[in-house]
This record gives sequence, C-alpha cells and structure tokens, in this order.
Amino acid sequence: MDNKNNPLLKVEHLRKCFPIKKSITGHVLQELVAVDDISFTLNPGETLGIVGESGCGKTTLGRAILKLHQPTSGKIIFEGEDITNYKSAQMREIRKKMQIIFQDPYSSLPPRSTVGDILSEPVLVHGIVPKDKVKDYVLELMDKCGLRDYYYERYPHEFSGGQRQRICIARALSVNPSLVVCDEPVSALDVSIQAQIINLLKELQQSMNLAYLFISHDLSVVKFISDKIGVMYLGSMVEFGNKKDIFSNPLHPYTQALFSAIPNPNPDVKMKRIALAGDIPSPANPPRGCRFHTRCPYAKEICKYVTPEYKEYESGHFAACHLLDEDKK
Amino acid sequence: MKIVKKIKARLLGENNGNEIKSSGNSYLTSKEIRAISKANAKVMLRLEKYKNRKADESEFLSEMKDPKNILEIEDLNTYFFTDQGVVKAVNGVYFEIPKNATVGIVGESGCGKSVTSMSVMRLLQGPQGQIYSGSIRFRAYDYKRDGHGNPIPTGETAENGAPVYETEEKVYDIAKMPINEIYRIRGKQIAMIFQEPMTSLNPIFTIGEQLDEVTFIHTPGATKEIAKARSMEMLELVGIAAPERVYKAFPHELSGGMRQRVMIAMALSCDPRLIIADEPTTALDVTIQAQILDLLRELKDRIDGSIMLITHDLGVIAEMADYVVVMYAGRVIERGTAREIFHNPLHPYTIGLQMSKPTMDSDSDKLFNIPGNVPNPVNMPNYCYFKERCSRCTAKCSGDYPCMVQVSPTHFVACHLYTEEEKNG
Repeated sequence: MDNKNNPLLKVEHLRKCFPIKKSITGHVLQELVAVDDISFTLNPGETLGIVGESGCGKTTLGRAILKLHQPTSGKIIFEGEDITNYKSAQMREIRKKMQIIFQDPYSSLPPRSTVGDILSEPVLVHGIVPKDKVKDYVLELMDKCGLRDYYYERYPHEFSGGQRQRICIARALSVNPSLVVCDEPVSALDVSIQAQIINLLKELQQSMNLAYLFISHDLSVVKFISDKIGVMYLGSMVEFGNKKDIFSNPLHPYTQALFSAIPNPNPDVKMKRIALAGDIPSPANPPRGCRFHTRCPYAKEICKYVTPEYKEYESGHFAACHLLDEDKK
Repeated sequence: MKIVKKIKARLLGENNGNEIKSSGNSYLTSKEIRAISKANAKVMLRLEKYKNRKADESEFLSEMKDPKNILEIEDLNTYFFTDQGVVKAVNGVYFEIPKNATVGIVGESGCGKSVTSMSVMRLLQGPQGQIYSGSIRFRAYDYKRDGHGNPIPTGETAENGAPVYETEEKVYDIAKMPINEIYRIRGKQIAMIFQEPMTSLNPIFTIGEQLDEVTFIHTPGATKEIAKARSMEMLELVGIAAPERVYKAFPHELSGGMRQRVMIAMALSCDPRLIIADEPTTALDVTIQAQILDLLRELKDRIDGSIMLITHDLGVIAEMADYVVVMYAGRVIERGTAREIFHNPLHPYTIGLQMSKPTMDSDSDKLFNIPGNVPNPVNMPNYCYFKERCSRCTAKCSGDYPCMVQVSPTHFVACHLYTEEEKNG
C-alpha cells in the first residue's frame, strides 16, 4: 500500500484563534484559542472520527480544514498541495474535492429551491458533466443516496429529517469529492433514522473511495464508523490513534472518563464510572498547564504548571499526559 | 362525494381511516381546509368549556385500581385539532407508575411521549391541544379543604414559622380537573424537568427569585426568609458547591449542567411525589449527563418519590428505569420491566430500535436499520401502524390494530405475532 506515502490530508500544528476583545486601533487584546496545535494525517478512503464535548473546537477544526475559517497558523496539505494560504479563487478548484455535511438538515437546505435545483447547482458551477446531462447525473446520484426520482421537483420542507440529511449528503457528493467533513451528521436524527444514514455513509464510502472527517460527540457512532479516532478537549488533541488502540487501551484519563460516561443499554451491567467533577472550563480563559487538570481524578502537582507534550506512545497512538511519562520511568 | 370522504378521514368519526382512497392526494384545497376547521371548532369549543368549568372537588375525585401505584393512565387520548385534520398525538395510552419506581418512556420524536407528559401536567397548548378522553389518576397528598376550597390550618406552626395545615391522601383524576384547580398538583405534587435548561429558566430574573417563587406559590403563608432558606437547602441538595453565589446569579452566568441542576432544585422544592423528566440530559454532554443521571437516581431515594423519565436514548433508560414503556406513533406498543424489555424484547419495533443503536461492545460492520419513516400523524391507518416498516408482517397485520397481549404479569405487547401464539398455546 503506497497510501502511507501519499496522505490525502495532512494537518500540521494547526491553530485557530478568534479575537474576543479589540482595542480602538484594531489591536487584538484577548483571543479565544479554539483549535490549538493540532497535527494529523488522513489517508484516502479512511475515516477519522473526532470526538469531544461541546465547545472543544471540533467544528472549528473541520471548518478550518475546509478553509471556511482562515487558520491563524499551521499548515493544511491537501493531496500534496499546501492550501493554507490559497486565495478564494484558488480554493474553488480544491472545493470540488472537499465537501461538508452539516449537522442540522433543517437549516442547511435553501427553502425556496427544489431538490433538483439544490443538487444540480454544484454540478453546473463546477462543470462536472455537460449541461444536457446534468439531470440524468442528478437522478443517478439521488438513486445512490436512496432518494426517489419524483423527489426532484419537491421542496425541502416536504421531507423528514432523515430524507433531508440524504439530500445534504447527495449535495456534498455531487462534485465527486475525495474528502467529506461530516459535522455531526446524525445527532439531529432519531435512532432508527440515524442507523439508515450511517449505513448510507458507509456504503458510499466504499463505492466512491471517500475519506471522512467525522465529527461527533457520540462515541458509539464514532466507534462504529471510524478507522482512526482523535479525542479533543478544550481546543487541543489529547489522544489520537487507531480505533482498536483507543478502545482497547485508552491512555488519556479524559478518554477513559468519556468511555465510562456512556450509558450501556443493558440493565444488568452496572457501570463503574470515572466521575468527572465540574464543567469544562471556559475556552476564553483555559487553565494553565494541562488543560484537563481541573477535572482530572489523577492530577498531580506538575499538571498544574507544565503543559504535557503530545507524543507517540505506541506506534500510531499519540497522547498528551504527564502520567504516561511517569509510568515509563 | 370523494371530497366528503377525504375530509371525513381526517376528522373524528366512527370509521376513521376506512375511507382513505389513496395517500397520494395529500394536498387539501382551501374549501376542504375550511370544512375541517369548522368541524374542529365545534369539538374544541366543547372541550375548552369543559376545561374552564367550575367544578366541585367530588367531580374529579377518583379511586386507584392498584393501591401500589402513584399514577395510572388509562385509555388516554390527546388530540390536536389542526386545519389539516385531527392529529392523534396520544392514542389510547395505558400505563402506570408504581411508588418509588422509575418508569422510562422511549420512542422516536413525534411518538407522543412528550404529549403524554404534557397531558399529565395539563400544559397542552389550547385550544388546539385537548385531552379528548381517558383518565389520569394520581394519588395526591393534598390539604384538607373547607367548603370554599381553602386549606384548614391545624393551628400549629412549623420550626421555620410557617403554619401547618391538615393533609390527607386523595386520588385526583387529572383529566377531569378544571384547569383552575390544577395548581393543587402541578409544580407541587408533580414537578417537571424540561429538556432545554436555557429556555426553561427566565433570563431576566435571578436563580434565587425563580426558586423562591415556587415556595411562595405552593406554601400558604410563606415568608421571604422561609422561601430563601428552602431555596438554599435545595441548591445544596443538588450538589451546587457555592449556593450563595448561584442564588444571586442570572441563568446566563451558569453552564448547561449547572442550569439543569437548578431546574432539578426547582422541581424538588415542594417535595413532589412524581418528577417528570422530559429528556433531561439530551442537551448536555456525556460527562455532564452522567453527573445529572447519578444525581437524579440519588435524589429519587432521598425524596421517596417516583420518576417518569422520557428519553429517546436506550442507554439512559437501561441505566435508570425499573419499568419501560415503548411508544410508537401515539400508542404504547410494549411495556414491561427494564429486564424484560432489554433481554426479551418482543415487538419488532423494540427489537429494531435496540439493534439499530451502535454500542460500545459490538463490532459489527453494518448497523441494522428499520426501513422507512414514521407514518403521517394525520389520518393514520387502522391497521398496525408499524406494518409498513415491519419485517415480520403476517396476513393478519392488515386487519385491525392489534390489542395489548399480556405475556407475563408485567410484560405487555401490542403485536399480532403474539396474539396468534396465545390462541395456539
């Protein structure tokens, strides 16, 4: 496999800050670091799941990769090209290859366009097929995504949440992308519909060789769909690795706590919880040292002052925690 | 003639659903809509008058079927009268909540689980939303009342200076209560915790003011000091570290988990006998969800009450509930103890629901999914509502809606697969 030599997406030390306080002259006085020093690679046809609680920066990460937010520093290398400083005109070509599916299918479809219009627009803009073949192409695409052909003339409000999410998926796939950022695509849906959409995403991945960046707060969904998993906490990646490694041997105490907090649908199994006290600190004013030390049950003195290094502990399994260094000594 | 039939199917009548010719013509003309709203207005007016009537206590006193229960819902029908037709949001629901038990209600969105709880609280948006028929019997611990409906004081005072009133146990039929008597129960005997802690707290009042209000309304003769002491006690009870600070804070200053704790404190401040928690953790993160669930479980034992937990998350139900009620399209399709529902699910929908949820233990490649969508709530078919999505359909399923079959003393299921078995065995 030569995939390893040519990753589809390579993110290096990505950082995104939002100014929250400015002086009269426009000088930034205070910043909110939404994404802090994140690096990973994603191969073609793979799924990377990003998990974390709300406010941990997972959506900002997804948007920064698509350059919907301009990153503050760091590099995004997509198919060997450094796209970090591309202007919007240059991005247009790249946009064909990277697409996004949003969380809320109710607000991400234009209410005044028919499904046919919604799906043909990107095809026309990017000139994917000749103009006279657009309708056939769209109908074929709709069939792939489980939409019936008479939906072509209908408006988004006539559909249920699951059907709308299928329209969103079809729209994202209409330009034949190689990377799709899925920003919580199933969290607004019911369990039975959720399963339909996840299966659809998996099928499409196999048939079109798509790479997904799958952002979700639901660990069980991420586990089901991902090959690699990254766990985020307050803007930084605390653990990253293959699905197997992460689930069989979670290294970071936050990952362990996150796993233990998921309710198990079996009334006989009483879970041993690692209780996390308190809430996530405000990202505008994150704690010093290890960001997790305020809630960590194993926090030591060093955690309060020194930021732990993000390094590889097993092959392909990264984590950032002081406790892991101590174990080795 | 065809138009008349089409409208009839959308209204309350004898042969509901029988006369639907085809589901394709789903658009109504303005003439049809006018006819529907005219017919609905009559029913709504009658129900609204019944709701606003003045009634003597004897009219809504009732008896429990089983003395162990705290709440019994029997054949409850809650309808919404819309211009598109009558939406039977709750359609003949039966279940009961025993004392000191947690009953979990699961179902997908639109299955009527929230409307059931709203019916119990009588919070339905009138005049469209109405309890059409049925009874909700609740064992209340209410003040003894004189001829004018005022509580009778015993003449003593409690430690904190509040007067003490004579109390007795009564069984109220909530569905028959006039709306201006409901304050005897709502917020005091039955408290509710809502899904969105941000939208259910008033942004322009401090937490303290909102908590005190509960005590003022439900405790006759409460003073400011009594109310504040009670509020502080409640804030401490729900595990808030700095109650004094939170008491003075506004809702926007608190995080989601803290707000939900305040909501729980508010619900508990009148010592309710039943807490209705409507998706209490859906808007929260997993780690905060774990905290809130632990808190609810601990408090249930402390206040010696029952919980009606509404959620779509099977994991939460498995962890919390003693009994489970599964709802689909306005009807209860299966109910039993948590063990029965999770280890021996019978209805194809319950089985499908459990299989379609990815779990942490499973390693399968493809998720099981239930095909299709929930049927349109206006003009429901009169055969089994799950027929179109069911993989185990038999010829019988095209017939009448299946009735509840008792499988074990506590386990009931509404499916034709089991009615046959019973006859054969």
